[in-house]
Amino acid sequence: MNAIEKQLQLQLNRRMSYFLTLLIVGLLFIWSISTIHVDSISNNGAKIAKNILVGLLQPDWTLLFNATTGGIPYLLIETMAIAFLGTIVGAFLAIPLAFLSASNIVPKPIAFVVRLLLIIIRTIPAIVYGLLFIRVTGQGPFAGVFTMSLTSIGMLSKLYVDVIEDLDKSVLESMEALGCTLMEKIRFGIWPQLTALFLSIVIYRFDMNLRDATVLGLVGAGGIGAPLIFAMNAYKWSEVGAILVGLILLILMVEYLSNRVRTKLVKG
Amino acid sequence: MQWKLLLPKKIVLPNGKEVLEKRSVMPLIWLLLFILTLLSIRITGFSLEVLRDRIDQFFVIAQQMVPPNWGYVTKLWQPLFDTIKMSLLGSVAGAICALPIAMLAAANITKNKWIAMLSKFILSLLRTLPTLIIALIATFIFGLGTMAGTIAIFLFTIAYVGKLLYEQIENVDMGVFEAMHSMGLSTIQAFRYAIMPQILPNYLSTSLFCFEGNVRYASILGYVGAGGIGLLLNESLGWRSYANVGMILLMLVCTVFIIESTSEYFRKRLM
Amino acid sequence: MIEFKEVEKRYPNGFLALNHINLEIEQGEFVAIIGLSGAGKSTLLRCINKMHDISGGTLRVNTINVGQLKGREVRNLRRNIGMIFQSFNLVTRISVLKNVLVSFVPNMPFWRKLFGVFTRKEKLQALIALDQVGILEKAYVRVDQLSGGQQQRVALARTLAQNPQIILADEPVASLDPVTAKQVMEDFKRINQELNMTILINIHHVDLALAYATRVIGVRNGEIVFDGRADEINEETLAFIYNDTKVGRGVNHHAMEAAIAEKNSIA
Repeated sequence: MNAIEKQLQLQLNRRMSYFLTLLIVGLLFIWSISTIHVDSISNNGAKIAKNILVGLLQPDWTLLFNATTGGIPYLLIETMAIAFLGTIVGAFLAIPLAFLSASNIVPKPIAFVVRLLLIIIRTIPAIVYGLLFIRVTGQGPFAGVFTMSLTSIGMLSKLYVDVIEDLDKSVLESMEALGCTLMEKIRFGIWPQLTALFLSIVIYRFDMNLRDATVLGLVGAGGIGAPLIFAMNAYKWSEVGAILVGLILLILMVEYLSNRVRTKLVKG
Repeated sequence: MQWKLLLPKKIVLPNGKEVLEKRSVMPLIWLLLFILTLLSIRITGFSLEVLRDRIDQFFVIAQQMVPPNWGYVTKLWQPLFDTIKMSLLGSVAGAICALPIAMLAAANITKNKWIAMLSKFILSLLRTLPTLIIALIATFIFGLGTMAGTIAIFLFTIAYVGKLLYEQIENVDMGVFEAMHSMGLSTIQAFRYAIMPQILPNYLSTSLFCFEGNVRYASILGYVGAGGIGLLLNESLGWRSYANVGMILLMLVCTVFIIESTSEYFRKRLM
Repeated sequence: MIEFKEVEKRYPNGFLALNHINLEIEQGEFVAIIGLSGAGKSTLLRCINKMHDISGGTLRVNTINVGQLKGREVRNLRRNIGMIFQSFNLVTRISVLKNVLVSFVPNMPFWRKLFGVFTRKEKLQALIALDQVGILEKAYVRVDQLSGGQQQRVALARTLAQNPQIILADEPVASLDPVTAKQVMEDFKRINQELNMTILINIHHVDLALAYATRVIGVRNGEIVFDGRADEINEETLAFIYNDTKVGRGVNHHAMEAAIAEKNSIA
């Protein structure tokens, strides 16, 4: 076989594996469809969809501007507070865990065990944490804070580790030649490299936590989720609309701000 | 970080040269964060004493979860597969649909600025709504069951993959694209042959990553009645049969671990 | 003053990195060290501030016996010796000024170290150092936005802020283009003359070495094979220093004397 035929053969092999992968994915896809019952869009469903849209367009304005603790603005602030505090607690807890799971800092067995632990923490659904913490703190936003922290730890430490593994260690050599102790090397050589990126990661996570925090209300852990579900169950569509409008506005605002801040942090 | 409004501080060197040091805004930011933290503590009723006193309650339940109820496994297979199927379907369909929307949103492909902005806005909106809320609404529209969950995952995947995709497209090397255009190919064809190869590895990698996350989400969706293993979770939690809950969690962790490992393997191969 | 007396560095596997090193360098000298890669130039330099330990002989810096220093004493020694690296070794994400301020850290009290607060006096000193290398106007710019030559000057400023008596430079211009390399060498020359600072440079570019240094030391296979003024170097000596033939380095071998004996026997 001369060189050209060899190349052709390679191409054929690649095509085969490509095709095979597509076939497998296609089969999985078809297998998955078996799970759906397609008759589900009943008449009732369409009516409800319409109602929700109507409710969105004609929200309950009094509820939207109600300044008491039952009103939407307060609930939104409460949701934000839960997300904020939860992110901060999670950010702090995730830092040591991240260092412990970075294979360029601790020996491989420890890193592996910690990674396993992190996967477990990450996989347990927020709902479960919510219910567990409610037993500890009683119902209300306090439980929500810890639920948020634990659910954040997974992603935060994963992102932290990416940053840690990219650290530039060359500075440490010059600090050694300057006569610096280990603590000084960490504080002035490593820490400045990390802060901007860690902050950026935390803000990103805060954004996501804000969305998840709304869900906590469903289990009674505070926030705007509970009124939403009550309104939906009671078919009060304009209330639902009001809540959704407030929520969307809040999240859009926070997302815009956080994007601006994050670009500034990374670009300096 | 510097702030343009604050007046810079002047430092004069012995040899007469002057330096303008812009005042750092960092101390202000730390102060702001501190105040916000205090406020949040007030609002959420955060209390270290309560935590210290009652943290053992957390472990009480955790202890009841171990050892898990092994016999429960047989009831779990079907819902577990339902969950996986739900996420698979939603992810694949979402990833496929994300492509045309991302194309529309990319400012360097779509010549009409309004269409691009509208598409970006739609993607943003879809990402903003929490998945659970979408699932909740979906259960009202499509009824309880896996369809609702699949729709929720479908929409979320479009938003997530779509955003990363259009950001990528906008950063791609346009030279080849223009060359194709000048050869006479239509926009879509030029896209297929010039841009797709550049974004394909990242696109597949992102979709795979999204699928990973969706499997975990899918388990929660069951809580609002959107099918899958979440329903059983809800049930067991309600009946306080924590050994069952432990079993569910164990199965979940194993599944996610397997999926994540394979996915990570493939993603490394792609990049 | 730096004094090497029969200094030897032998690694645990027997490899002799430095052998039979005898050297006296007075305050204010500008010395260039030349030789092949792996000849021992870096090792020689790094023994002076105890980044590497010696296994035999005595090494004194300003009458302090370096080999016997421990812990905090080593750090104190290093405060007086500045070191410049080929890869600059700066924190690229932060500003030029912050990088220079790091040189004050070992002398700061705990609280100021923790919060990273520098006094006005320290900032002033750092700015003066930046002015001495001619990049004062870049004081608040992020390091990764500077060119290679500028970054090396920041490293130089950081060293100057230390107020050392000796500067060790390990291939400082190896990653720079010829024009910038010359500028950096000019900086070294100026500092040497204005501040009477001892400068030891490891350098590959023999032409730069000969142009700027007053004294040249040639290292080959871990031994000093030439030690004299820059104008005493000729083609023959250079060929000898950069001779690639592998001489056994596990054995005590006096290369210079052997070569002279050989030359004499031929002549």
